[in-house]
Amino acid sequence: MNNPAFSKVLIANRGEIACRVIRTLDAMGIASAAVHHPAEAAARHVRMAGEAVAIHGDTPVAAYLDGAQIIAAAKATGAEAIHPGYGFLSENAGFAQAVIEAGLTFIGPDHATIALMGDKISARTFAAAIGVPVAPSVLPTEDLADFTARAGKIGFPLLIKAAAGGGGKGMIIVRHADELQAAATRAASEALRYFRDGRIYAETYVDAPRHIEVQVLGDGEGGVIHLHERECSVQRRFQKIIEEAPAPDLPPSLREEICAAALRIAMAARYRNAGTVEFILGADGRFFFLEMNTRLQVEHPVTEMITGIDLVRAQIEIAAGAALPAALPAPRISGHAIECRICAEDPARDFLPESGRIGRLAFPTAPWLRFEHGLTEGQAITADFDPMLAKLVSHGPDRETAINRMIEALKQLTLLGVTTNIDYLIRVLDHPAFRAGDLHTGFVSAHGAALALPPTGRQARDHAAILAALGCREFAELVFATPEPYASMGFWRN
Amino acid sequence: MPFTLLLDGEPCEIEILARQPRLLLAVNGRTYLVEPKAGDGMVRIDGETVAFARAEIGETQFLRIAGRTHVAQLARQGGAGGGGGSGVNAVKAPMPGLVIRVHKQAGEAVVRGEAVITIESMKLQMALNAPRDGVIATLLAEEGGSFDKDAVLALLVSLEGE
Repeated sequence: MNNPAFSKVLIANRGEIACRVIRTLDAMGIASAAVHHPAEAAARHVRMAGEAVAIHGDTPVAAYLDGAQIIAAAKATGAEAIHPGYGFLSENAGFAQAVIEAGLTFIGPDHATIALMGDKISARTFAAAIGVPVAPSVLPTEDLADFTARAGKIGFPLLIKAAAGGGGKGMIIVRHADELQAAATRAASEALRYFRDGRIYAETYVDAPRHIEVQVLGDGEGGVIHLHERECSVQRRFQKIIEEAPAPDLPPSLREEICAAALRIAMAARYRNAGTVEFILGADGRFFFLEMNTRLQVEHPVTEMITGIDLVRAQIEIAAGAALPAALPAPRISGHAIECRICAEDPARDFLPESGRIGRLAFPTAPWLRFEHGLTEGQAITADFDPMLAKLVSHGPDRETAINRMIEALKQLTLLGVTTNIDYLIRVLDHPAFRAGDLHTGFVSAHGAALALPPTGRQARDHAAILAALGCREFAELVFATPEPYASMGFWRN
Repeated sequence: MPFTLLLDGEPCEIEILARQPRLLLAVNGRTYLVEPKAGDGMVRIDGETVAFARAEIGETQFLRIAGRTHVAQLARQGGAGGGGGSGVNAVKAPMPGLVIRVHKQAGEAVVRGEAVITIESMKLQMALNAPRDGVIATLLAEEGGSFDKDAVLALLVSLEGE
C-alpha cells in the first residue's frame, strides 16, 4: 500500500504485544496510541507509543478490560483503528462490535465470527458440519447431574472444560468415574467465576496428544491462505511454554490434511484477518479440531520467522480493506523457528507464579534472534498480570541449529530479580526427547524428574557463594573488621 | 566468626582467612583466592575469571553465573529457628494472589489439613490448609485482599492442654 492504511492506531493492550504492534506501526508510518493503567505509567509500551492515555479500574486488569474507556481513548487521540493484541478484549465480540459502532476499525475478525468461535460448542458444531473431525463429547450444561450421567457414558479419560473458557483455565482431566462428580462441580464453579458462564462440557481426552495449530489469514471476502502449522505441545498447567514452526517430523500427507482442514474452517467462516485453528493430534495420526482463536497468537513470531511475513502488518492491511487473491498458495518456508515464553514462575514449585522486581535485564541480539518484551529495569512484577514476562525467539536453517541458538541465547539472557523459568527452558530444549522431536502435551510431567534442577557442582556452588557474599554489605563489614593493617577494600559494589 | 548465607536455600559458611595481600576465603571449609575486581561483572577465583550478573531485590540477591540463576539470602542469627517455628504456626501464601474465601475466623479451631483460606492466582484456585491442629489466633487475610508470595495469611496457636 502506498498510503498508510490508517493515520493512527490505538493498541488496547500492554506488555510485549503492545510493544510488538507499535514496532510494526512505526515501520508502516502509522502513529500509535497506547493505553495504560496508572500503575504502568512508566511501562515500555507507554514510552514506545506516540502518545498514551491512562485508563482506570478497580484492578489494573479491569482497566484493560474496560472497552468503553478504551474506545473513548481511541476517539480522544484521533485513532482510526484499534488493535486488541491477545488476551484482554481481543476475543470479546461485544467490544469488536462497539468499536465498529463508534465509527472505528477493529483490527480483527467480524464480531459475529468472534462470537461463533468464542463459544467452544458453536465452534465445534460449525467445524463438524463442514467435515472437520471433532472429538466425541458431551454438550454443555449447567445441570451437573445430567452432565455427569452423560459424561460417564462416553468413557474415560475425559477432559472437562468451561464452555466460555480459553487459555486452559478451568480445564480438568478426569481418569475415573469416581472423580467425575467433584471435578464437574469444581469446573462449573470456576467457569462461573472466570467467564460468568457456568456451562461446562466434556470430551474424549486424547492421551499424550500433540498440539498442532495452523495460522490463517482471510480477507473476509472468501480469500484465505494458511501460513503453515506450529507445534505447541510443550505446555505446563495447560498453557504453552515452547512453540515451534514447522512441527517436527510431521508426515507430509498429515501436515497437508491438517492445514487443509484449517483452511476449510477459515473459508467456511469467510474469515477476516489473522486467526489460528488449533488441533490435537493423537499418536495414531487422528486429529481433532480444538478451537479457533480469532486473534493474533502469543506464538505468532515463529510463523513470521519461517515465512518472512509480518503478521501484524498483514492484520492492519486486511483491516484497511486489502484483499487476498483467491487460491493463493501458502508461502514458502525457510528453516525452523522456536519460541520460549519467559515466565515469572518457579518450575521447582509446580510453576507457581512468582513476584519480584526486574533488577537487571540484559538480552542477546543476533540476526536469528528476537526478544519480545515490555520490560523496564526497576519494574515490579506482581500478581496483577499474567506471569509471562517476555518471549525469546530463535531461527535456524534447521531445527537443531534453532535449538542450539535458543539454548545459547537463554544462557546469555539475564533477567534477575524475580524467579523465572529461563534455566528450566534450557533443560527442556537440551533434553534428548525434545531434541528428537518426541513431543506431546504431557512432556513436562512425563520428563519431570529429568527436567528437575540438577544439583550444582561443588565448585560452581562455592563460586556462587563467594559472589553472593561479595554482594552483601554485612560481609564487607566483616572483611573490614578483619584485623589487617594495609586493607584497601575498594571493590565492593556501589 | 563465619558468615552464613542461604544459597538456593542451603546454608553456606564463608570465612575470611586473610584480606591482604589477596582476599582468601573458605567456603564450607574449602579455600579460595579471590580477586574481586577482575573487571565489570567479573571476579577472579583461583585465577579463573568468573563472569556474573547480580540484582538485589529486598534482602534477596539474584545471581546469574554460567547460564544458571542462584538466589542468596543472608542467614540471620536466630532467624532460622524463629522462622521454622512460625512456619509451623503460619498459613503462608505459596504464590502472590487474591483471597477468595476465608473459611475460618479468628478463634475457630482447625484440624491439620483443613482449609483455612482459598486463594486465587493466575485464575487458579487453591485451598490453603492448616499446617497442624490448633486455633486461629490471628487472621491476616481479608476476602478480596491481595498478598505477595510467602505472606503470612493466618497464625495458629496450640489447642489448650497441648
